[in-house]
Amino acid sequence: MAFDLSMPVLVVDDYNTMIRIIRNLLKQLGFVDIDDAADGSAALAKMKEKKYGLVISDWNMEPMTGYELLKEVRADPGLQKTPFIMVTAESKTENVIAAKKAGVNNYIVKPFNAQTLKTKIEAVFAE
Amino acid sequence: MSTATDTSQHFDNLIGFLKEKRENVTFGDIIKLAEIAAQSLQSFFQTMDHTVYRELNEIAGYIMTMKQEIGALRANDLKDSRIPSAGQELDAIVKATEGATNTIMETAETLMAADASDPVAYKALVDQHMLILFEACSFQDITGQRIAKVVSTLQHIEERVSRFAEVMQAKDLDGFMSDREKAANARNEKLLLNGPQMAAEAIAQNDVDSLLGKPKVKAPPTAPASTGSAQSDVDAMFP
Repeated sequence: MAFDLSMPVLVVDDYNTMIRIIRNLLKQLGFVDIDDAADGSAALAKMKEKKYGLVISDWNMEPMTGYELLKEVRADPGLQKTPFIMVTAESKTENVIAAKKAGVNNYIVKPFNAQTLKTKIEAVFAE
Repeated sequence: MSTATDTSQHFDNLIGFLKEKRENVTFGDIIKLAEIAAQSLQSFFQTMDHTVYRELNEIAGYIMTMKQEIGALRANDLKDSRIPSAGQELDAIVKATEGATNTIMETAETLMAADASDPVAYKALVDQHMLILFEACSFQDITGQRIAKVVSTLQHIEERVSRFAEVMQAKDLDGFMSDREKAANARNEKLLLNGPQMAAEAIAQNDVDSLLGKPKVKAPPTAPASTGSAQSDVDAMFP
């Protein structure tokens, strides 16, 4: 899916505050169709109901983590091409390498700002 | 006090008696045998009593010291008062930061949605909401004081546990974990749940970008990170 501000975006995080922050940043960037989910399994269920142009997910959630969600998405032929950005406080090298192996498109370390989010989204769709 | 020589003498008497009375043993002989045996065993037990008494005395002293040290730990005070109190402080910190964050975000959302066509009215609205932001930021002072109390409790526990371990010459047992800890550790390890890192351990966004083989994207610096992670290290992993 090409970059399009009208494309649906799914924000996955178990903290309402972080969902609210990302939602507001995305609105500032011009996105209008933004959904959210509190963990990987809820996100996966939503992704099977609606085609999202971008997933922005936290890593550490229960019961299903963002890392598990990423692997599920990449293993599903209907979802595997969905751009996936990890936005997380997990800042160990092993996390980044594992996310890369699992097929993440970009990785943002929390805390971040609007410009970082914007440049990472643009980078994903510029590929 | 009986000695080993006395004991040996008693046993010699017993053996001599048995040799002499191999046949035609009467009831009186049995009584005599019992007397000799009792004398022999008495001296044996007297010797043993002193060793056992000394060892038991040492054990009793160790138990007494341990009891005093356990008392000095004030475990009930920790369990019933200090740790619950620290937990309440942490809960209050979470609530205060959550409340402040909501207030700040509501204020920002109100200003973002405001009609700016009338500059005078818009300026008045901004000024009014800036005051709300300043008020909301006052949470930092209170939470700082609450955190100081929690740190004090942790130091209190650390000091007492350290003293106890030193006095008891306690050595850590390897591999002791509750079932809950084992399950949590296994999940964390499997799913790479390392949590936020301190500055020394965290990678920067530039390094993340390099690891991911993405081109570096020039982004303005992020806000100071409580975890010490930097977006530039991450960026480096996505060249």
